[in-house]
Amino acid sequence: MTGVFPEVAFVLFGIPIRDTVVSTWAMMAIILVFAVVINKRQPVLLEMLVDFLADTFTNVMGVSSAPYLPLLGSLAIFIAFANIISIVPGVISPTKDINTPLALAVVVFFSVHYFGISQKGLWGYVKDLASPIFLLPLELVGQLSRTLSLTLRLFGNMISGEMIVAIIFALIPLFLPLPMVGLGIFTGLLQAYIFTVLASTYIGAAVEASEIKPKKDKVD
Amino acid sequence: MFQNASPELIITVVTIITSILGIVLGTAVPALAEGKAVQKALEGMARQPDAASDLRTTLLISMALLESTAIYVLLVILIIIFANPLNDFFFV
Repeated sequence: MTGVFPEVAFVLFGIPIRDTVVSTWAMMAIILVFAVVINKRQPVLLEMLVDFLADTFTNVMGVSSAPYLPLLGSLAIFIAFANIISIVPGVISPTKDINTPLALAVVVFFSVHYFGISQKGLWGYVKDLASPIFLLPLELVGQLSRTLSLTLRLFGNMISGEMIVAIIFALIPLFLPLPMVGLGIFTGLLQAYIFTVLASTYIGAAVEASEIKPKKDKVD
Repeated sequence: MFQNASPELIITVVTIITSILGIVLGTAVPALAEGKAVQKALEGMARQPDAASDLRTTLLISMALLESTAIYVLLVILIIIFANPLNDFFFV
């Protein structure tokens, strides 16, 4: 099972660096170069992409997604590109190591609380979190389980696709792995969409006002 | 049959049997649940074509969430077949 699980590529200043980390660096450079080049030639493409992402998140969240678009858009583009790049021979995609989906899920966890607190203030946010006070432990466990499920969903889809391709390649290497690779790419794009939509749902649930207080009309 | 069985044999046989049982159950139950979700979504779309795109988005997200439980089962079974960390306890 070499090539399925990540291995150490080289050692830098005494820290062993995995090949998925090298792949992440290469991906960051490629995305940056793509963005700059496309911005020079046809900025319309980037505008279309940003509009599409902003509309999707606004539909899901219910509020305007403009303050959260940098985080969510980066998540979407990074995960989509990371899941697809394994088709290039010799490149291992970063999401096939469990550390990358775990890091992304931890980022989403902290950003949910950060956006909630910055929108409602610390006391308002904690009050909304513990509205029926006996549900507070359930709420806390729910937050942790959301993070875990985000990680395992992304990692599980990616690693099972890779293992199925590896097993079929060991049995019939001629043409049969190709539909499985295609299924893996489709699953990768779908999982990137699902991860980002779930992250936007959690952020939307954290920043929305829990109850609407009726305003007393002032009679002049 | 199991008089002189080595620990490796017992571990392998138990792994095979439980993984087959687990995969059969772990893919049948989420598939039934997804079929129910699609059935209700299609009924709703046929009844109100205006809400079709809302229904489609909700359906996609719900099916991915239902699918993820099947993926958890597959992940655990792949781990115990190929990279069982408890093997070192028995084989040392």
